Amino acid sequence: MNMTSTTQDSLFSPEAVYISSATSQDELFSEIAAKLLARDFVKPAFLDNLMQREKDYPTGVDMSVVSADYPNIAIPHTEGEFVNVRKIVPIKLLTPIDFGNMIDPSQKFPVSFLFMILNNDPEGQANVLAQIMDFLTTTNHNQLLAFFKSKDTNAVYQFLNSNFNK
Amino acid sequence: MIKILAACGAGVNSSHQIKDALEKEMGNRGYEVKADAVMVKDINEDMLKNYDIFTPIAKTDLGFEPSIPVVDAGPILYRMPAMAKPVYDAVEKIIKEKGLS
Repeated sequence: MNMTSTTQDSLFSPEAVYISSATSQDELFSEIAAKLLARDFVKPAFLDNLMQREKDYPTGVDMSVVSADYPNIAIPHTEGEFVNVRKIVPIKLLTPIDFGNMIDPSQKFPVSFLFMILNNDPEGQANVLAQIMDFLTTTNHNQLLAFFKSKDTNAVYQFLNSNFNK
Repeated sequence: MIKILAACGAGVNSSHQIKDALEKEMGNRGYEVKADAVMVKDINEDMLKNYDIFTPIAKTDLGFEPSIPVVDAGPILYRMPAMAKPVYDAVEKIIKEKGLS
C-alpha cells in the first residue's frame, strides 16, 4: 500500500480504483465503502454519513458546461472525521446513476464517473477538489473522453497519475 | 477587513475552495477579505452576525432568514473564469453598495 512518494501519487492508490456495476447510489456507496473499510481508508461510520450527506448536500457536477460531450461526474465525500487518509478514489460506473447537482440541488442528472474524496486534512495541503476540477478542465479533450470510457482500473490509475496536478 | 462565511455540507472541500478563491480574487481587486469555511449545519443566526457576506455553494435552507447578503458561490468550484466572474462581481457589488472595508 505504501508504494508512493510524489504528491500526485499519494492522492491515488492503485488498489483503490474501482469499476462498479451498481445501479443505485445506495448500492454503489455500500459496495465502495466496504472495500475502503477493508483497507482501513475509512471508519465504520463512513457509509451512513456518506449516504446522508449525499441526500442533504448532493455532489453531482454538471460537466456539460465544460464540454458538451463529457459525462457528468460526482465528488461524494464526508466530513474528515469519518476517514483515515487523504485520497481520491476514482470509480467508473458501468451504468449511469442519478445524482443531484451540487450547485443546484433541485436538479438531477445521470453520472458516469466518481471522484470520491477522502479528506482528513482539509487545511493541510492544496485543495483536493480544486485539483480535481483543474484536471477536468485542463486535460486534453480527446484524452479525457477516452479516460472516461476506460474500463481498465490500471489504465485509469496511470492516466490520473500522469495528468493530475499538471 | 471584510468577513465572508463560506459553507458546504461537509465543511471540507467545497467551502474551502470558495474561501481560498474569494480571498485571492477579492485581494486582486483591492479588498482586504477574510473568509471562513464551515458546515452548513453549524450555522446559526448569531454566527452570521459576525460576517458581512454569506457564500454557500447553492441555495441553502438555514431554517431562518439570513440577516446578511447571500451570494450563491457554487460556480466558483469549476475554476473556470467565465463561470466564476459573475460570483466575484456579485460579491464586489455588495462590498461597494454597503461600503464594506
